[in-house]
Amino acid sequence: MSALPNKQPFDAGRAAYLALNVALLFFLLAPIVIVLVFALNPTPYISFPPVGVSLRWFDKFFGSAEFMNALWLSLWVAGCVLVLSILIGGASALALARGNLPGRAFLTAFFMSPLMLPAILTGLALFQSYLLIGIGRPVWGLIMAHTLVAVPYVIRTTLAVLHNFDRRIEEAAAVLGASPVRVFFEVTLPLIRPGVFAGGVFAFIVSFDQFPVSLFLVVPKGETLPVVLFNYMKFDLDGAIAAASMVSILLALSVVLVLERLIGLKAYVKL
Amino acid sequence: MAVDGVTLDIAAGEFFSLLGPSGCGKTTSLRMIAGFELPDSGRVHVGGRDITDLPVHRRDMGMVFQSYALFPHRTVAENVAFGLRMREVPRPEIGRRVKAALAQVALTGLEERRPGQLSGGQQQRVALARALVVEPPVLLCDEPLGALDRKLRQQMQFELKELQKRLGVTLVFVTHDQEEALAMSDRIAVMNRGRVEQVGAPTEIYERPRTRFVADFIGEINILEEAGQARALRPEKIRLVSVSDARVAGTVETANFLGGSTLYRVRAADGRSLLVRETHAGERAPRGTGDAVGLTWNDSDAVKLES
Amino acid sequence: MISRRKALRAGAGLAAVGALGAPAIAHAETATLKITTWGGKWGDIMKATVLPAFEKEFKCTVSADQAFPFMPKLQTSSKTDPLYDVFHTNSNEQWSALTEGLVMPKITAKEVPNVADVYPYAVSDKIVGVTIFTSAIGLGYRTDKGLTKPTSWKDLADPKLAGARGGYLIPVNSLGQAHLMMLGKIYGKGLTDLDAAYKALEQLKPIKLVDFTGQMEKMLLSGEVSEGVIHDSGVYRYDGQNQAVDFASPSEGVLSLEQVLNVTPGSKLRELAFGYIDYMLRPDVQKMLAEAVWYSPANKKVKLDAKYDAKLLTTEAKVATLIQPDWKWYNERKDDIDARVTKILKS
Repeated sequence: MSALPNKQPFDAGRAAYLALNVALLFFLLAPIVIVLVFALNPTPYISFPPVGVSLRWFDKFFGSAEFMNALWLSLWVAGCVLVLSILIGGASALALARGNLPGRAFLTAFFMSPLMLPAILTGLALFQSYLLIGIGRPVWGLIMAHTLVAVPYVIRTTLAVLHNFDRRIEEAAAVLGASPVRVFFEVTLPLIRPGVFAGGVFAFIVSFDQFPVSLFLVVPKGETLPVVLFNYMKFDLDGAIAAASMVSILLALSVVLVLERLIGLKAYVKL
Repeated sequence: MAVDGVTLDIAAGEFFSLLGPSGCGKTTSLRMIAGFELPDSGRVHVGGRDITDLPVHRRDMGMVFQSYALFPHRTVAENVAFGLRMREVPRPEIGRRVKAALAQVALTGLEERRPGQLSGGQQQRVALARALVVEPPVLLCDEPLGALDRKLRQQMQFELKELQKRLGVTLVFVTHDQEEALAMSDRIAVMNRGRVEQVGAPTEIYERPRTRFVADFIGEINILEEAGQARALRPEKIRLVSVSDARVAGTVETANFLGGSTLYRVRAADGRSLLVRETHAGERAPRGTGDAVGLTWNDSDAVKLES
Repeated sequence: MISRRKALRAGAGLAAVGALGAPAIAHAETATLKITTWGGKWGDIMKATVLPAFEKEFKCTVSADQAFPFMPKLQTSSKTDPLYDVFHTNSNEQWSALTEGLVMPKITAKEVPNVADVYPYAVSDKIVGVTIFTSAIGLGYRTDKGLTKPTSWKDLADPKLAGARGGYLIPVNSLGQAHLMMLGKIYGKGLTDLDAAYKALEQLKPIKLVDFTGQMEKMLLSGEVSEGVIHDSGVYRYDGQNQAVDFASPSEGVLSLEQVLNVTPGSKLRELAFGYIDYMLRPDVQKMLAEAVWYSPANKKVKLDAKYDAKLLTTEAKVATLIQPDWKWYNERKDDIDARVTKILKS
């Protein structure tokens, strides 16, 4: 392409490329725009063109104790899942990449397996086991379930970083007098951190948006936001759903942005 | 990559090179000295002390890697300070020594840069400063100049050599580049297939190769087979003379003009092909392809090789 | 805007989450009745008024699960220690639960005294457990599209309505299933005449399909659907909101969409569970809920305000128009029917 003369009036390839990008963007953003229009439109159903702009659905969402309890529970669960999956996923990825473990391919597949299983089955199976061992459905049970499906994301991103990791850097630190523990904290950890946290962001979102796994594991008065929204839709399909969706989207987005700011996901390591 | 029965005796303050093709065991030997690999048998001593059982971080060595292995998440100054921090050197002293070390490698002013913002040559210097700042008795270099372009490489060769002499550090240098080894080393160990073929000063290795491998690996060589005895004869030891005075007569097959010299490939009457290097100062036109030439040399220059 | 008071309430939610870990121990000696119940406006009133009053009177706590799906959760839990004591669903699900032995076949006046006062349909042979409310499934329509008020189920087939009529994804919605049976009755020999029903369904295409009733309400409100199958409460709930929609009861009869309560045989709180059903059948409780969500009360003794009384099924004559599908019959054939209707509606 670049070899072609610059002044060519119309470059079909470039135009097609641009058109494809615009189409993709539109495809990704259009649903969000529709949700936003629904959220701001005062009628309790989607109408085009919108008849006005109102915050009544946001008001309803933030004014509902049920929605707020669910929102806080979801955030709390997602926060715990973020921390747990970073610890578990990061450690597992290190063990898988560095541990010289027998049956490493099998172990990797095993750790990834929660992604292969339909999430609804994971939820049902866990529900069954919780009932069987008689622990009921505590919040920590829900957190564990979410962590189960979130950990593979952290393992994936961490393994990607470890794969490109130049181990000479660790050796250099060792020669310079760093004990294995110090090598880990001074070199290994800072260098894999972007991968671990990128996975952590996924983990947070996976948990925050989690519906199928939660479906069976929530208890009365302890329902996460997606579950509450789903049940709400069956009785009241109005703009509060759209308002809740907007809030969810914005929350997820801000978590990504904050983590990006704090840790610099794109930083210095090639992902 | 295994090594077998390698015995190296390296003197304090010496520039010692491990030279050989890739896979010869030179890097493995270096990593054994550093402590990354453990020998199945045999010991590693430094200054009379047996360090075989010491872990890497307690061996008190410096090391420079081909990939530089700088800490990408730390600044130049932090990279250089790392070894001092590990040794719990007081802060003010760290600052002073880092500054001195960077001055030594002409990097003053780049303290706050990150490795990613430096050129290859600059990164190499940082790696060097980082290794030397802790004043290790032994500095290990694993093809440290391998990633640099030719010109920069030559410049770094001089600098490294000069620095090593000034600091009096014992330097063990791994390279596959025979010119580099010859130019820099006090002594060279030529390795092949996990064994040391010959240890000696560069001139000795060049002039009196002990084995066919050493002769062949370093520079151009003619191997003469006479009554079951192989002899090595450097191309520059062969003189071009008139056919009547010659030990061997032949014709020039190719003539490569190299600037200060010309390298001829001569087909002898008996069918052998010989390399001949003729140095000249421009007063005589080089011979051309197809010219009849006579060759002669001194017997003492044809070195006997071990079979 | 979000008022300060509401923001504070949002803050209080956090404390509630923090306390989630420990409720079981705090009330160890109080019995906890585990029930399923609906969400939406119904759920709001249950949580705000009905359940607190019940808890006070019966000195217990109620754990009300509003999160679908109830059936698989009950199936998964142990029969001797079921997840629910009282199972509230529509009639069709009670029948599936009964075949698996998850609920009792009948609730009689012996266990629940107020059953003596219910209309016959509430405990008919089409019902497992006891009906506490019913809705009438008929036709909802737009009043602003020049349509005459439908009088027959056949009106939905009017060619004018092509693409503007509304129905359900039959495999997942019991209103759609009931409607299919109704088609058998209208166009064939009866509710179980599936061949006639399939043929009639074919004639309803093109038709807009939704999976739950809330969506049908919105389609009618937004005018995307001009006439569709819906239950009366789904239309009457917009009464007084100035919406151009109304409900019509076809002359052939309306289908009944019962709210059924039942007790799980393994319940350790059987007496309390019966007490809860009896409570839900009390005239004052029935009146409150009926007027909140436009459900027709099952108890004959309930006197609704005139506005509600005019529209809901509150007399022997009016409840006589209810047609109750045979869900046992339907559930046994559900897989075949699902496959068949999916094919019909897809092509």
